[in-house]
Amino acid sequence: MDISPAPRPVLELRDIVKTYGGVHALDTVSFTLLPGEVHCLAGENGSGKSTLIKIISGVETPDSGVIVVGGERHASMTPASAIAAGVQVIYQDFSLFPNLSVAENIAMPRQRAVGGRFYSARAARPIAQGIVDELGLALDLDADVAALSVADKQLTAICRALVSDAQIIIMDEPTTALTGAEVTALFALVRRLQSRGVSLIFVSHKLDEVLRVSQRLTVLRNGTWVATGAAGDYDRDAIAGLMTGKDIDTSRVVSAVPADAAIALEVKGLGRPGAFADVDLVVRCGEIVGLTGLLGSGRGEIAEAIFGVRPATTGTIAVGGHPVRIQSIPDAVAAGIGYVPEDRLTQGLFLDDSIADNVVAASVTAFAGRARLLDRARMLAFIQSVASRLRIKAPNLSLAVRSLSGGNAQRVVLAKWLMTNPKVLLLNGPTVGVDVGSKSEILEILRTQASAGMGVVVISDDIPELYSACHRVLIVQGGRIVCELAGDAVRVETIEQRIAA
Amino acid sequence: MMNRIAEADGMRRGGAERRDVLTDFVRKIHVNRSVGQMAALLVAAFAIFTILRPAVFLGSYNLQVIALAAPEIGILAIAMMVTMLSGGIDLSVVSIANASAITISMTYTAVSSRAGVELANSLALPLVLLGLVVGVAAGAINGLLIAKVGITPILATLGTMQLFNGLELVVTGGRTLYGAPAGLSTLGTTTFLGVPAIFLILVVVAVAIGVLLDRISLGFRIRYQGANAEASRFSGISSTRTLLATYTIVGLLGGIAGVVFLSRNPSASADYGASYTLLVIVIAVLGGTNPYGGRATVLGVVLATLCLQVVASGFTAMRLSSQQYAMAQGVILIGAMVLDYLRGRGSSR
Repeated sequence: MDISPAPRPVLELRDIVKTYGGVHALDTVSFTLLPGEVHCLAGENGSGKSTLIKIISGVETPDSGVIVVGGERHASMTPASAIAAGVQVIYQDFSLFPNLSVAENIAMPRQRAVGGRFYSARAARPIAQGIVDELGLALDLDADVAALSVADKQLTAICRALVSDAQIIIMDEPTTALTGAEVTALFALVRRLQSRGVSLIFVSHKLDEVLRVSQRLTVLRNGTWVATGAAGDYDRDAIAGLMTGKDIDTSRVVSAVPADAAIALEVKGLGRPGAFADVDLVVRCGEIVGLTGLLGSGRGEIAEAIFGVRPATTGTIAVGGHPVRIQSIPDAVAAGIGYVPEDRLTQGLFLDDSIADNVVAASVTAFAGRARLLDRARMLAFIQSVASRLRIKAPNLSLAVRSLSGGNAQRVVLAKWLMTNPKVLLLNGPTVGVDVGSKSEILEILRTQASAGMGVVVISDDIPELYSACHRVLIVQGGRIVCELAGDAVRVETIEQRIAA
Repeated sequence: MMNRIAEADGMRRGGAERRDVLTDFVRKIHVNRSVGQMAALLVAAFAIFTILRPAVFLGSYNLQVIALAAPEIGILAIAMMVTMLSGGIDLSVVSIANASAITISMTYTAVSSRAGVELANSLALPLVLLGLVVGVAAGAINGLLIAKVGITPILATLGTMQLFNGLELVVTGGRTLYGAPAGLSTLGTTTFLGVPAIFLILVVVAVAIGVLLDRISLGFRIRYQGANAEASRFSGISSTRTLLATYTIVGLLGGIAGVVFLSRNPSASADYGASYTLLVIVIAVLGGTNPYGGRATVLGVVLATLCLQVVASGFTAMRLSSQQYAMAQGVILIGAMVLDYLRGRGSSR
């Protein structure tokens, strides 16, 4: 599968090895980037993609191997030498200064790089104007970055990279928060950049989209190189197979839910000004309902309102047929609602604490016995039974959660809520950062819980996952539920079209 | 806390690979490192001073001084540890202790001058309770400011420290008050099998807080709050209730420390223990408390208290100055942190 590079590569990594505490993050990985190409870097979480990027951008030092940039050999890069060599990384959060204007954001690094100790507002403007005109963009240079749409922030970050004479631009999940039209516009810009001779590396899990603009593809798995080839030679299933090393079942498995099944969660006219309005939602016991939409559509805000994170100002919520008033998270928990947050690491887990401590976090009070002393034997028995039911893989439960893989860590968060025996379980991005194997197991856990009578709501932008597990899929746009798909209408293509509409 | 529960689980699954057992063992040492470190330091300090000045240092007078001086500092350090465990700090705890002592002393003096010394002495228990109530009330004020109003602990308690201290200066006119119920002085001189009664108060406080942190759901919540306030909130734990309870309990501990002040010495003033605030922060951190929250042991803090008391009395035995003792505190703190850093660098990742 070796491609003989006719033109000299702009970037070449040879036999890169990087270990963290004895674990190989990268094991003799080689990678080449040709001038003017878009190269897709694919792999599951933990496959070594981010480590590879950190090595290219000088954030991490490889244990061994050679980096050749622009014909020069390096044993390792520093962030400064990477930038000097024309490497720019555009992270998912763009790393912009929200309180500065677009022009200032674009021009700032350039002015620092040329050694100016003083910042000149007058000089900033022409630099920024130049690049915006050159690319033919409609960016308001005087707008504060905080007020921009996600797509415009991305354009600002791209302009900033180009102003610093970027020859190699690495984009981390560039399409996650973009509408269909914005993705098309981004790809048009990418082609213009290519024609200027800029090479791009796309890191993405939205393989369909990225394959549209990529010429070549490299797949990593568990820190080792698996394949490199022309993008046209692969389809999504083939890549998923390379990424996981196994065939993944993405078929739709939903159990039958009787039409008269008891209602687990009923939401009527829910609204919070500026976030969402008129949200009606019924989830029956045994049902898994998907809630999707673009980032910023309000899908997450709806879930957070039901869980009391930022309560709704209008509307009613009933759990198991009983109206409840949810003004805070403890209200929601008391009503029998559990919530697996999107940001697992900061909102879901106590990373330095043991698995047992994490699992019991939402239910400690329930184990208070005589004189309010906790019944530790009963507590451990419960923790063990839930942990083994969810098949949390760890030598023992006193291990710190920090040491677990994404899939296992997510099981710990799930276990925390199953300990409270909730009537309704909301999950925001339940399989984000979880490898494909664990992913299907987590969906299987949700199916089992639903069959046992729980109402489950999955908020996700992973459409195959919604297709695979959800009885119904609701699509949120501009804070309103605009479309409901049920039964045979739940299809990957249909959901994709409705979201981007 | 749960580690201890879960360890039993680890042992029960006897089939685990040897390597897992080994890494688990290493981890356990890591967790209890600060306790072990403090115990070793305590023994070392004791040995050094015993060798240098055996006659003075091992004298029963010297040992009594250690056992009498340690309780008030130990109780304040445990209070500081509890706030740090929740991710905060209480700079006002020494002022709270003084408020408790001053209230008891003033009320005692007022009663004895109007109704006679005997009546005042017979009211020892109610007076002690009054002092504790003052501590609880002051702690609750901290709790309200931090939990309800949302002021950062360091600023809220800096404010109340100044406030309480100012009030105490006004009330006492800046003078040292003399007078305390006779029962308290008796308490201060009573010993059981050679152990001073007030040292037993420290033991009781330590055990009670140990039970709170290990066996009561509030203790778990305090620790979750400090380990990750956001995850704690998303687990349905009310930070308002947790922090209110934390600072109120710490106020109670301050009140108890005030009673111990009076037991040792029947006098009270606004500026007693002026150097204690920083000292108890040092002790709490030395005892293995993570200043960022979420990690602490009562045992570690008690050992650290004893260790610094041994150094203090050892310095006195060697006729070194209190300035030199202050420097030694700094050296011990920095030394322990550097040791931590070196070891962390070797073992992390």
